[in-house]
Amino acid sequence: MIRKDAIKIASDMIDDSPIISANGYISRDLFEANDKDTNFYMIGSMGLSSSIGLGVALKNPRKRVYVFDGDGNILMNLGSLTTIGKLKPKNLIHLVFDNQSHESTGGQPSNTRNIDLYKIAKSSNYKAFKTNSKTGLEKILRKIKNIDGPIMILIKITKGGKPSKRIIHSPVTIKKRFSRNL
Amino acid sequence: MFDLLLHKGIKNFIGVPDSTMKHFISQGLKKKKILVATREDEAIGIAVGMSLSKQNSLVFMQNAGFANSISTITSLVQLYEVPIIFLIGWRGYLKNDAPEHSKIGKIQPKLLKAVGMDSKTVTESNWKQCCKWAINKVNHSTPCALIIKREFYD
Repeated sequence: MIRKDAIKIASDMIDDSPIISANGYISRDLFEANDKDTNFYMIGSMGLSSSIGLGVALKNPRKRVYVFDGDGNILMNLGSLTTIGKLKPKNLIHLVFDNQSHESTGGQPSNTRNIDLYKIAKSSNYKAFKTNSKTGLEKILRKIKNIDGPIMILIKITKGGKPSKRIIHSPVTIKKRFSRNL
Repeated sequence: MFDLLLHKGIKNFIGVPDSTMKHFISQGLKKKKILVATREDEAIGIAVGMSLSKQNSLVFMQNAGFANSISTITSLVQLYEVPIIFLIGWRGYLKNDAPEHSKIGKIQPKLLKAVGMDSKTVTESNWKQCCKWAINKVNHSTPCALIIKREFYD
């Protein structure tokens, strides 16, 4: 399963819940698969999608808040897992699309080839799930609808696929429409 | 200062502790309004999430942490025009502060200017005006910084 397919499956199943997506190809894939007012495409500030998601989750307890993260991104902000694990927001669902590389910058290897993010999430008070298949991902996304967070879904993906188009909205437009729909 | 900012509508105080503002942080902890993050850029990310939820937020940090946060400020706070108040402790203001603070302390005013962040330095006599100035800024969707000089040793 390549990232684009995984992002399409996940965003199709999420309806109108807020999604905060990491910079690079993850935001571009989400934009191409399912552009919605409830998506916050993070363009710069690498590593911070889970932190932005935490802020949104804490202030919108009635909404399920989804973070679309990458392995390179979360490795830059592992401290975020401990802050989330300490605060335990019930409505935060953290998806990590893990291709074990920095694909947006040319496919350089990342540390998740050697280190198990699933275990780190578990020891940070997350309820953690992992999969490497489309059916597995669909099953987990259905299952977690009735489970309190924080939840991490570690999705092992393979590299490849044509890069998605760039996001056409300006950052201020992304902010305004996201904020209006919270 | 904490009580005034809270009273004037700042709902969230997120940051990394700095001894220059330990009394400010203690007051916030007493009122259960402080969220301590692991790094300054993480704190800014959380504050942005809260600001997107229409709640004004303040991020506190030492100036070393401000230096750590510059990319996050330019590519998140300024790019998306998210109004946040930065409260920054100015280590290295005194010439004989600890050595790790001397360089960053010296370039602190230039750094703020280069980033394009409006700021005011808080003193005993102007702190109320400074708080009102900052509140006015965020109410007009502009991020800004309040600087607290480190004028003691411990």
